Amino acid sequence: MSRLNERFTKLYKIGLVITFAYFLLVLFYDIHNLGTDRKRYLSEHYISQGVQETGATNLVASVLYDYRAFDTLGEATMILTAATVLAFLVPITKATMFGTPFKSIVNQTVKLIIPYIAVLGAYLILFGHISPGGGFVGGVVLSIIAILLTLTYSVEFSEYIFKPDQKKFIEDIGAIGFVLLGLLGIFTGSNFLSNGQANFGTGNAGEVFSAGLMPFINLMIGLKVSAGLAIIFNSLIKEK
Amino acid sequence: MIDIIFHLLFLFLIITAFFMVFTKDLSNSVITLPLFGAILVIIFVILQAPGVALAAAIMTAGLTTAFFVITINKTEYGRNE
Amino acid sequence: MEIAYVAVIILFCLGMYTIITKKNLIKIVIGITIVESSLILLLMLVGYKPGGTAPILDKRYEIVVDPITQALALTTIVIGGSVTAVMLAMVIKLHKRYRTLNIDEIRKLRG
Repeated sequence: MSRLNERFTKLYKIGLVITFAYFLLVLFYDIHNLGTDRKRYLSEHYISQGVQETGATNLVASVLYDYRAFDTLGEATMILTAATVLAFLVPITKATMFGTPFKSIVNQTVKLIIPYIAVLGAYLILFGHISPGGGFVGGVVLSIIAILLTLTYSVEFSEYIFKPDQKKFIEDIGAIGFVLLGLLGIFTGSNFLSNGQANFGTGNAGEVFSAGLMPFINLMIGLKVSAGLAIIFNSLIKEK
Repeated sequence: MIDIIFHLLFLFLIITAFFMVFTKDLSNSVITLPLFGAILVIIFVILQAPGVALAAAIMTAGLTTAFFVITINKTEYGRNE
Repeated sequence: MEIAYVAVIILFCLGMYTIITKKNLIKIVIGITIVESSLILLLMLVGYKPGGTAPILDKRYEIVVDPITQALALTTIVIGGSVTAVMLAMVIKLHKRYRTLNIDEIRKLRG
């Protein structure tokens, strides 16, 4: 009897998912029909005016760090919250990875490859407003340095090179610097986190120091994301 | 030509997703995750989104997989003792 | 292009099926990852225009892909990564407390 009941429950769940799929099919059919002849005024304004207004060649960066920079502040707060939750969950006892230690080939390769990763991360952060990339991607690449050290050597060595207090300090610098750069817009008589409207000098589009505050905001977000993800990963490792 | 590649990539994406869900061994399922992410990255590049492709390559195919492997490592150890 | 929307629906429903029926906690987290990927794919498909170029304008182009959906997708990816990390930490905590990953047994232990 219970086996029949179990089978019935499974059939019921499959039917539920198929009904949901049919509902989504009808919905997407309408969305697809709407999309062909609808005009998107906001994105057309960004495409036609965005480069002149913000000075950034990469329109995604100009949406993220200029027009909708307030959403980016919320996104950065999300990473801070995740790092805080994980640092709260972690016990005081230290546990290492379980498994055999690596041979010296892996260790030497990691030592050799770390400077190139640092250069790639710095490039992605500093050129975020003219090419694909930006603060988030560059920050993740920089955090991979600490993750590689943790995986190949040990948690102790990684925390000896990058101390936990230093990482928390760097993350705080990123968060506070982002808010202070936003307040700079209020002091010049414009809105919070405004960049192009506040006339910080957009410069020539396509150069490194153009687009007003955007390289500095990118730098702050990069510092914050790299330190936050390194803290998250080390907490996940130390959790026994 | 690009249409055929595009449709084939969607086919591979669905096959890897089904394999990820219905395989018995948990390690197989986690190791298929970066493959899923890599196919997704190629689809993003064809859809003209290089920034999103870069972020997905690093996040979905790289870091999330490392998180999953760590979790498997931690939980398999408890099962043996 | 229509077949891409069908693929998004299949991926979304596969993730939902995983979350509802599977018993292993790590499988459930994988299902959440699949749902998230399908939503990012949907955002990309809504923003795509046939024959458009990527939104990096070093000179004037005729047709440019919608930049707003790409910014939203970037936000989704980064938030999804950190949320996955928190979920996996919770999984490790649950395994440390109950010595199992099966949600049925965890429910039984709760009483």
